[in-house]
Amino acid sequence: MSEENRPLFSCSGVHVFIGEKEIVKGVDLAIPHGEIHAIMGPNGSGKSTLVAALMGHPAYTLEGRVFLEGEEITALSPDEKARKGLFLAFQYPVAVPGVTVASFLRAAVTARRGEEVSVREFRKQLLTRMEELEMDAAFASRYLNDGFSGGEKKRLEVLQLRMLEPRFALLDETDSGLDIDALKVVAKGINAAAANGTGILLVTHYQRLLNYVKPDVVHVFIDGRIAHSGGAELALTLEERGYDWLEQQAAMGGA
Amino acid sequence: MSAEAIPRVQLDHIAQLSQAAGEGEFLRRMREEARALLDPLVLPDRARHLWRYTNPAQLLPAHDPTEPLPLPLPGEWRQEDPAAAAVLVAGGAIRLVELSEEARRAGVVVEDLHRSQAAELVGSTVPARHGLFEAINAAAWRGGVLVRVPRGVELEEPIRLRLLAGPGGRVAVPRVLVLAEAGSSFEILEGHLGGESGAQVVGVSELLVEENARVRHALIQRWEEGVSGHLTTRARVASGARLQLALASFGGALYKADVGAELVGEGAEVATFGVAMGGDRQRFDHHTEHHHLAGKTNSNLDFKVALADTARSAYTGLIRIAADAPECEAYQENRNLLLSRGARAESIPELEIANQNVRCSHGATVAPIDPEQLFYLASRGLPRSQALRLIVYGFLDQTLARLPESTRQRLEALVAARLHAE
Ligand SMILES: Nc1ncnc2c1ncn2[C@@H]1O[C@H](COP(=O)(O)OP(=O)(O)O)[C@@H](O)[C@H]1O
Ligand SMILES: [Mg+2]
Repeated sequence: MSEENRPLFSCSGVHVFIGEKEIVKGVDLAIPHGEIHAIMGPNGSGKSTLVAALMGHPAYTLEGRVFLEGEEITALSPDEKARKGLFLAFQYPVAVPGVTVASFLRAAVTARRGEEVSVREFRKQLLTRMEELEMDAAFASRYLNDGFSGGEKKRLEVLQLRMLEPRFALLDETDSGLDIDALKVVAKGINAAAANGTGILLVTHYQRLLNYVKPDVVHVFIDGRIAHSGGAELALTLEERGYDWLEQQAAMGGA
Repeated sequence: MSAEAIPRVQLDHIAQLSQAAGEGEFLRRMREEARALLDPLVLPDRARHLWRYTNPAQLLPAHDPTEPLPLPLPGEWRQEDPAAAAVLVAGGAIRLVELSEEARRAGVVVEDLHRSQAAELVGSTVPARHGLFEAINAAAWRGGVLVRVPRGVELEEPIRLRLLAGPGGRVAVPRVLVLAEAGSSFEILEGHLGGESGAQVVGVSELLVEENARVRHALIQRWEEGVSGHLTTRARVASGARLQLALASFGGALYKADVGAELVGEGAEVATFGVAMGGDRQRFDHHTEHHHLAGKTNSNLDFKVALADTARSAYTGLIRIAADAPECEAYQENRNLLLSRGARAESIPELEIANQNVRCSHGATVAPIDPEQLFYLASRGLPRSQALRLIVYGFLDQTLARLPESTRQRLEALVAARLHAE
């Protein structure tokens, strides 16, 4: 397979179980270099479960296969996947009290690059990226996600996306809970990452973010499956018509 | 055949010890009285919280600590960190005292407690009748330090004491007495370290914090593997004075610490901030007491424990407020983080509040590492061991962040070193 037509990220036959319960019921994705894909779907349809399982969350059992740049990464541990360039922006980022944003990011950047970064260079890059995301410099010395507002957490996820420069990023509702100004800043960060060559899978509940980050393909996710895929215009249809028509279709066709 | 061994403590050479150390009549008599308390030997009541988690027999000296054997000297020792005073206690005696020019001019005294003029203050806050190990120390202590900071003197640099445990089979019995005269202000680091497997320590430290003094005291235990010991620290804090006690416990096989302060004057304050980090089969047993004997006194305690492997920790924290001590505030929080299934922690707050016009709260938690935190850090490329270290460091550092910068830096470095040893 040549470099050009090999997808940047792909998965096939992905089922995800929590215990005995099947949450994701067969997902295939192939996302070429330079594309942004969006997954939209109602609450509880299994979007977060899918992306967490792709990242390797230990509480989930994943069946199927996952590839990054043609290399199978299915069985790798989450930290190995991350070092190979997979990234997950969490819907609900976890607080780690006592660990500052700066020290955490330095450890993460070092792990991702596989070599020490000089303090000077790291500081410089961190400040530039924070400025880009309109974050106050004092942010760096706060404890990781500890007492952060919803908006601050989302900004920090995007800051990590920019600092770690992954090959492919799964962004889980990185738009939720943001006011319009914050949404624009977050979108700017995502677009900058995409322009820098990071492939993107956006998971979102609303089409709002898609006004600022233009997807090439929109997948509609219903009850653990991709029920429908289309172009950017599909997001607008969903905005107008909701998910009901697809849910009905899925219920009938899924038999 | 398994006859129950009758516990006994052999203290056959007290008079020689006292004489060889050049002690006066007061100390010699104190030793004899302390020995009388040990005859017959009565082990502490294990129904009390203080001894519920540790068998006192395990900490009894296995050999006569008063025996006049030649004691090995430690190797080369150099004080490199800046200090107002630096002291090494090893092999049962003060080996080295360095006093900075600043401290000397200010009249700071650091000397051998055995021969000190202040010897009559020995036993002021930890009398022999305090308990079994305090009686053993009072009868048999060898290698004592007196630190006196005169009225109104403020020291920039800390006073550093290092007390070494000995070779296997030997019992170190150090004693420290700190006099912080009215209005003085300084930091004192009391480090217990060294030792070979099988070494024992029975230590006592007393702090007299006079009116309006500010004392920052750190009790740092980082014995080598296989050392076991009991350390007691008591402070008496006078009106308007403020004491900060930092606890840091890392080493040894079995360690019991009994640390506390009596607030005897109006407006006195004590804050105890501590961390303990254990692994392997280490056993820690910490007891703290904040005793409010005067009105308008404040106490605060924040103690964090992180345990790996099959390490165990017990913590009992007593807040006691006397009937005639109104308008006090007392807070206590103990949190325990378990890094493995085999690790165990107990946390028992005890309140004895005899005055109703006070504010008091306490909290305790014991929790395993949050797997969501681990996954979050893993998703950023950090391998499990590194993610664990970061989480534990953060957990402990929240408490260390409340300490003065110099103590904090020192303890952070020790926590980092302890984590890397895991
Ligand atoms: N730990 C869990 N145990 C059991 N069920 C879960 C767990 N986490 C999520 N679920 C269930 O999985 C389904 C999908 O959840 P989720 O992936 O969060 O959906 P979405 O992100 O699309 O809103 C929901 O029905 C939810 O209740
Ligand atoms: Mg979700």
